[in-house]
Amino acid sequence: MRRRIPVLTSTTLIAALVATAVIAGTAGVASANGHTGETEGRTKNVIYLLGDGMGRTHVTAARERYYGSDGKLAMETLPSQGFISTYAVEKLSGQPGAKNFQPNPVTDSASAATAWSSGVKTYNAALGVDATGTVMPTIMELAKKAGLRTGNVSTAEVTDATPAGQMSHALARGCQGPVYSDAACQDLAITGKALPTSDIRVTPIADQIARNGTADVILGGGLGRFDAADETALKDQGYTVLGSPTSQRIATKADLASAQGQKVFGLFNRGNLTIEKAKQDNPSSVQAQEPTLPEMTSKALELLTQKGTTKDQGSSKGFYLQIEGALIDKRSHANDAAQTLGEMKAFDDAVKVAKEFAAKDGNTLVIVTADHECAGFNIIEKGTFTNAEAATPPANVDSGNTANNSSPTRPRNLVDPTRSTGIINGSGAANPKNFAPATFRIPSDPAGVVDGSPEAGLWLTYLSGNHTGADVPVYASGPGSDQVQGTIDNIALFDIVGHALRITK
Amino acid sequence: MNRTRPIIVIAIAAAAVVIAGSIAIGVTTMSRSDATTPLPTNAVKMTLPGLAAASGAPELTSIRLLHPRPGEVRQAAGPFDDRLALDGLAFDGTTVRGSLRVTSDVSAVLDLEVIAGFYDAGGAFLGIERFVYHAVHDGPTDPVTGTPVESIPFQATVPAEFAGRTASASVGVPVLVNE
Repeated sequence: MRRRIPVLTSTTLIAALVATAVIAGTAGVASANGHTGETEGRTKNVIYLLGDGMGRTHVTAARERYYGSDGKLAMETLPSQGFISTYAVEKLSGQPGAKNFQPNPVTDSASAATAWSSGVKTYNAALGVDATGTVMPTIMELAKKAGLRTGNVSTAEVTDATPAGQMSHALARGCQGPVYSDAACQDLAITGKALPTSDIRVTPIADQIARNGTADVILGGGLGRFDAADETALKDQGYTVLGSPTSQRIATKADLASAQGQKVFGLFNRGNLTIEKAKQDNPSSVQAQEPTLPEMTSKALELLTQKGTTKDQGSSKGFYLQIEGALIDKRSHANDAAQTLGEMKAFDDAVKVAKEFAAKDGNTLVIVTADHECAGFNIIEKGTFTNAEAATPPANVDSGNTANNSSPTRPRNLVDPTRSTGIINGSGAANPKNFAPATFRIPSDPAGVVDGSPEAGLWLTYLSGNHTGADVPVYASGPGSDQVQGTIDNIALFDIVGHALRITK
Repeated sequence: MNRTRPIIVIAIAAAAVVIAGSIAIGVTTMSRSDATTPLPTNAVKMTLPGLAAASGAPELTSIRLLHPRPGEVRQAAGPFDDRLALDGLAFDGTTVRGSLRVTSDVSAVLDLEVIAGFYDAGGAFLGIERFVYHAVHDGPTDPVTGTPVESIPFQATVPAEFAGRTASASVGVPVLVNE
């Protein structure tokens, strides 16, 4: 004799389980097919911020200068932190692990830009091609192809290495335009013989940017690289062009503020944008009408997230936005610490804008890093001096002491008065052969202590006027940022971003 | 015996349903995490419709419009005149010399092309010669400080076909790339 209630109970239970399984499975399928949204479970947006030439000391010095020893820059508050190795390779080298792999310990901005944009090591000066000259797609091109919106913002000419690395392919970074030249565009060491000028790899970068539509929003400098034909090509693709390449009228901060549209092209200087310190020191100048990097960042985010008028133009699929603080590097090359610090502050303020956007959005990966360190920037203790100022390097002689009786032997470490003639941004400013440090007041200094004085708390020095091979810091937040930990190589950034957006293998 | 059979049936059925559901969820989850689009080979625009391929070396039309007086060296207008200065321009009848100084922000000069125009005693245009500079690495640097130098000396000699007829010169800059 069977009992009816258990049978009913079991039937109900099975039905419930079947229903649950079906619903769960269906929900999963629906999600996988994107029925629950355009982002399909992936990271919706990526904001990639790049401080050109920004080494670890650049970050520390800017923190000390603007927020004090116990403060933090905005980038330092991002939860995932690590370091990036930045080496390049020689021409015709294989990739890491290949038999013909030939590394170059110190990269330039072009090789580094290609590393994170295209995921390959290449030679210094190459953009969007590997070390054999083979064209490689960039993250921005892949994002565009996948239907995401794209933006590229820089304080340099937009034909310069970092922005160009996302939206052009060139054997030589000097092939910027407005005209082609053999010397600037060809590289016979790579190709053996000159490529036809119709080849994209020797097409001036300005011509490429104006015609390939890779970035929806392009903001920066470099109007002098573009001409009337470029303006026509941009407008034919639907760009709102601020200023005019034809008349060479530069765009202004006011033009940017009122700009609207899905595609915006605005260049605010014929060359690189003006450094922040110069604008602050000359507020009535024409250059002071250029927008700041944080202002361009805010506007780019506004333009990339506005609703479109058609399905393809909408913002629902998300965006990829690259922001470059370019002048950190350029002023480090010149060993100008005051301007370097000013550019660091502007860059970090742009990071703050990105961070605030990401906090509100909730599905945005923010990565802050650099392409390479520039000039061996360092902080020395107040009152000390560098080897460059010294008559001899630090002492290393004591024949009776096994710890320091080796070669070389040096009797003493003294300042050379001809190489150290006073604080370089103070009493020693007039001497071009002076290697003394630049000094800056920090928040904890007593009132009355000024920049350029021996009493200031922050003493900054440079090793050289060129790039170094030091690893650079990286900071990240948002979905996928857990991949940005420890020490990783710069080509890994391509996969991290590509995987987050689901646009690469 | 009869009382335990329904329980076994229920247990087996429930297990089957749970496994099936788990597989369904797992498959969809896996497909979501692996929902990567193959790297599009056509993401790069290898051709740019409407763009005429460059032919020949860079030119400056402004050079042909000048008519310098004998012994004079004039600067011909170019696209980068607002970011450079030409110092020490001189013409000795055979060679025009000078140095280019970048006056805007600069960290290194990567590429430079100077076109020199030559003219007869009446100021009529005869022809041109070029000076081309291409930095192999980051450009020239000061041997003492290691910082980039912002002045590059240049010279261009009168082509043999105009020798003896050249009375004046001009110089202009169609290519300048500074990092």
